[in-house]
Amino acid sequence: MRINPYVVSLPAAVKEEKKESTSAVFGDLYRDALHKVNQQQIEAGIATKGLITGEVEDLHHVMIASEKARLSLQLTVQVTNKIIEAYKEITRMQI
Amino acid sequence: MELFRSFNISASALTAEKLRVDTVASNLANMQTTRTAAGGPYKRKTVVFSERLDQVRQMPPRFRGQGVRVSAVVDDPNPPRQEYDQEHPDANEAGFVSYPNIELAKEMTDLITASRSYEANTTAINTAKSLYLKTLEIGRG
Repeated sequence: MRINPYVVSLPAAVKEEKKESTSAVFGDLYRDALHKVNQQQIEAGIATKGLITGEVEDLHHVMIASEKARLSLQLTVQVTNKIIEAYKEITRMQI
Repeated sequence: MELFRSFNISASALTAEKLRVDTVASNLANMQTTRTAAGGPYKRKTVVFSERLDQVRQMPPRFRGQGVRVSAVVDDPNPPRQEYDQEHPDANEAGFVSYPNIELAKEMTDLITASRSYEANTTAINTAKSLYLKTLEIGRG
């Protein structure tokens, strides 16, 4: 799971963006959601590692953990796309 | 996460059904076992499932299904099968050997039921997943 380091460093970027475009409450909300998604990724990584090392007894736990991680990442990407779209929409506004 | 409740419910069922398959496997493996730690022949094992509930509200109490839980693995109370075999080291004075009360046809039926249930729960997970993926397509393009 190469994604983890990037996501961990993301909150800083979100913070900067927050100052310009969004309210503090929303930024916090988004950061929390990102942390939850990252947690899913970490859990999936741990489960996969457990499977490889033979610690996990049930295969389906690993599969479900990775599916959860995949789904939540896709959801995050969609939400992020929407936010960026809205931000762009505002910057294009003529004054 | 609340989003993945259907996953968690189906996951609990997968765990339970896997245990059922394991139990059948154990019964099949021990069809001829005449010696156990408790003494006497092996006793056929069956699993007992119970509903798993989650209290969502205190007053008035409201519950929500959280899947299934294995509450016990119990021994079949039926008496062991008697078979005449004087040569067997575990035969009694009359020459009868007590074999486990396991019927092959019954175990195979159980095995098929358990594997079909497992497949059904996998399908439920996949359906929930494809529903979520379809939902993500809302507003795309």
